[in-house]
Amino acid sequence: MTILYLLVPLAIILAAIGVGAFVWAVRSGQYDDVDTPAVRMIVDDLDQPSEKHAPGTNGNRP
Amino acid sequence: MQMHGQVPSYRPSIDPATACKHCELPVGSHPVVSEGMAFCCTSCSLVYAALAGAGMDGTYYRLRDMSSDRRSTPARTDADALELAELDSDTFLAENTRETDGGERTVELFLDGVHCAACVWLVERLPYEMEGITEARLDLPRARLTLRFVPEAVHLSDAARWLARFGYQARPSRAAAVNEQTAAERSLLIRMGIAWALAGNVMLIAFALYSGLDASLDTQLATAAKWMSFALAVPAVFYGGSVFYRRAWASIQQAWKSRTIRALHMDTPISLGVLVGFFHSAYATVTGVGEVWFDSITVLIAALLTARWLQLRARRLAGDASERLLSLLPSMARRIGQGGHVEVIRTSEIRHGDLIEVSAGEVVPVDGTIAMGVSAVNNAVLTGESRPEPIAEGSRVEAGGTNLTTTIRIRTSASGDETRIGRLLAWVGDRRSTQAPVIMLVDRIGGYFVTAVLALAVLTSVIWLFLEPSSAATHVAALLVITCPCALGMATPLAMSVAMGRAARAGIFVKSEASIQELQKVGAVVLDKTGTLTEGNMRIVDVTGNQTVLADAALLERTLNHPIAVAIVRSQHGHTSGDGSSLVSDLAAEAGRGVQGIVNGSRLVVGRPDWVASKCADALPVFSEAASLYAEQGYTPVAVARDGFLQAVIAVGDALRNDAPELVARLRQQGVEVHLASGDHPEAVRSVANRLGIPLERAHGHVTPEGKLAYVEALQERVPVLMVGDGVNDAAALQAAAVGVAVEGGTTASQVAADVFIVRPGLQPVLELLSGSATAMSTVKRNLGFSLGYNVLGASAAVAGLVTPLAAAVAMPLSSLAVVSMSILQRSFKQREDSR
Repeated sequence: MTILYLLVPLAIILAAIGVGAFVWAVRSGQYDDVDTPAVRMIVDDLDQPSEKHAPGTNGNRP
Repeated sequence: MQMHGQVPSYRPSIDPATACKHCELPVGSHPVVSEGMAFCCTSCSLVYAALAGAGMDGTYYRLRDMSSDRRSTPARTDADALELAELDSDTFLAENTRETDGGERTVELFLDGVHCAACVWLVERLPYEMEGITEARLDLPRARLTLRFVPEAVHLSDAARWLARFGYQARPSRAAAVNEQTAAERSLLIRMGIAWALAGNVMLIAFALYSGLDASLDTQLATAAKWMSFALAVPAVFYGGSVFYRRAWASIQQAWKSRTIRALHMDTPISLGVLVGFFHSAYATVTGVGEVWFDSITVLIAALLTARWLQLRARRLAGDASERLLSLLPSMARRIGQGGHVEVIRTSEIRHGDLIEVSAGEVVPVDGTIAMGVSAVNNAVLTGESRPEPIAEGSRVEAGGTNLTTTIRIRTSASGDETRIGRLLAWVGDRRSTQAPVIMLVDRIGGYFVTAVLALAVLTSVIWLFLEPSSAATHVAALLVITCPCALGMATPLAMSVAMGRAARAGIFVKSEASIQELQKVGAVVLDKTGTLTEGNMRIVDVTGNQTVLADAALLERTLNHPIAVAIVRSQHGHTSGDGSSLVSDLAAEAGRGVQGIVNGSRLVVGRPDWVASKCADALPVFSEAASLYAEQGYTPVAVARDGFLQAVIAVGDALRNDAPELVARLRQQGVEVHLASGDHPEAVRSVANRLGIPLERAHGHVTPEGKLAYVEALQERVPVLMVGDGVNDAAALQAAAVGVAVEGGTTASQVAADVFIVRPGLQPVLELLSGSATAMSTVKRNLGFSLGYNVLGASAAVAGLVTPLAAAVAMPLSSLAVVSMSILQRSFKQREDSR
């Protein structure tokens, strides 16, 4: 059972990394709006510029 | 704007139930027909044409049909010129936009009219369509658009105008309030996430201890496990739980100052429970004697933080919407400068004595007297009076009224907070900020619960120390695990936030869960008339006789500014083609009687029935009967004659909403007193009361805003009052009532003051609110009953020594799961989805 002295702290370090990722995600605003991205997913595939407006004006959409 | 050249024309042969090609609402009896397709209004046809013109109609309508929970609303394509001017002003750019790299700036705008996937697609196309905009991101549920743009290359007003072509109204948002709210929500979410991560790890270690690590030979490992959970509990208690101690401390100070125990709110027992549990466990860890309860403490903190976060999130939808509408008085105005030139300034810069110009259709920004111009203003916002008031040089006007017919100039006597409306709004704002925060049900129960569990733990250990000292620790542990308050902590907020989320989707925004609770206790309802029970503007309510003469009557009346003329013209709006004024000759108006003239070659007389009848050869009795019937119902009868023959009698008035009788009937059925308080003429109020079956002694006309407040407060001394209204004149009463509901089309002030506001037309949503909140409350009670029952059973079994810690650890998540599924499966606010 001595291995637990190593494994438990290791597990907690892993958990800390997870928490860090979570904090980063919240701070960068990923949890501010959880509904629109679901909609945007179906939209992105269709997002070719329409015929009448060439994409020339601006193409650097993220 | 490109329109393909055709003008929408009037075709009477279309079924009124046909769905509008754009918004899919029924087109009604006066559809707008364009290229063989029917629309409910000119705006919808314009938006359809704009989409088709840009080649985006296919994708837009396909995406829209894929979206299940969209809200149908007819489009609005007019953009407010003054609001657009504000977007371009330097002060706006400086205050509400942020500089990002490369000379670009970002701005957040509120966007009215977005409702589904198609809107996201369309709005986010903005960068492709307009040079200078580099990114557009739409937050659909909050209707918030974030734009990144190059200030030198594009005017924000052009972007707003582009959006307006497709029926989206962009409004400036005040950055400060929004950011503060976002920051508060994010920090609570982080706190909650960290609390759960710590609680999860403490629980894993606790499972090991409960399943016999303690009793095993390896006492060293057991001690290490206790120290480990101690280390993990420290941040959970001092970082995660700090919100509770801060509020508890504030309430203790408050209680000390006011010498009332009642000021102590429920964070106090929570804090007490958490801290006592923590220090006892810490002591046990350090000395190696006694039980540790770190798992229960950390899970409690995490569960309560979750509850709080859910509430914050459920509330933000409603909060955002009222912030979005917080612009009742225009923020920009046109001032006539010294040399007679017009300058656009912010209303806060207006000084006493300034000359302000107000175009037709704009809201008057100041109190003052008319210096130039003859027009009519609609003061429905202020007084509830639905009839426009004629104004001329020298008459007084008040901020908040809408200028209806021609441009006027006003000499300012008061602006901003000094106007009558400003004072009313300031009162509402003060009351909002001084109102005590609502004590959450879960806090109340949760606090006592922790204390009770700790007391039980002491009891259990005392009992078992006498009976069988060796197993005392196991039984205490089982008790603490089985009574973990996760289920209890989440019972109320989860059920409430599910209900509030559903309500918001149905267009009913509930600002605080307390209103859902309060609605169950309501004993009296005070209804506003204009704009609430009625539609709020003069229009043709009914026609007896030949309807086709209305088109000609509209041609005759279109040059006149009389409210009745406006109602007749509006009823034909968009259905007449070409410029009809050339067809009218010999126009002669007689004040107080009516108007006559030659239209399309025949002589037309429109006006008071007796006056029109005197100009006709004979009048059928059916017309005079209709005229007196309309007058009895509180409408103004108007007769139309052509070539000496009476053709029709029309009723002009503020029509009762279709669902008003149902609302009143349902309220009476529930044993609720129904009252009517309106600023309108007592005659009009009485006729509405008669038709709805409201006793006349409870129907009052000519009630001032202050009078409504007093009326609600007087009633409130007997029973909790539900107030339903829409105008600024209702705002104070909405604030004072136990629950205030602002209906669709209401003013900003009423929406800010109300506890619930509705963005769907009609009174049906009010009915849904009543039944939905009842269902939500019964779900809450079921949840609380279940989790309390579970805990009482579990605790008694544990005290009696019937449960092992491991069995308790399995039972605990099951109870939480049950509460979560009961909350999600509740049936509140479901009617709308069923009916679709």
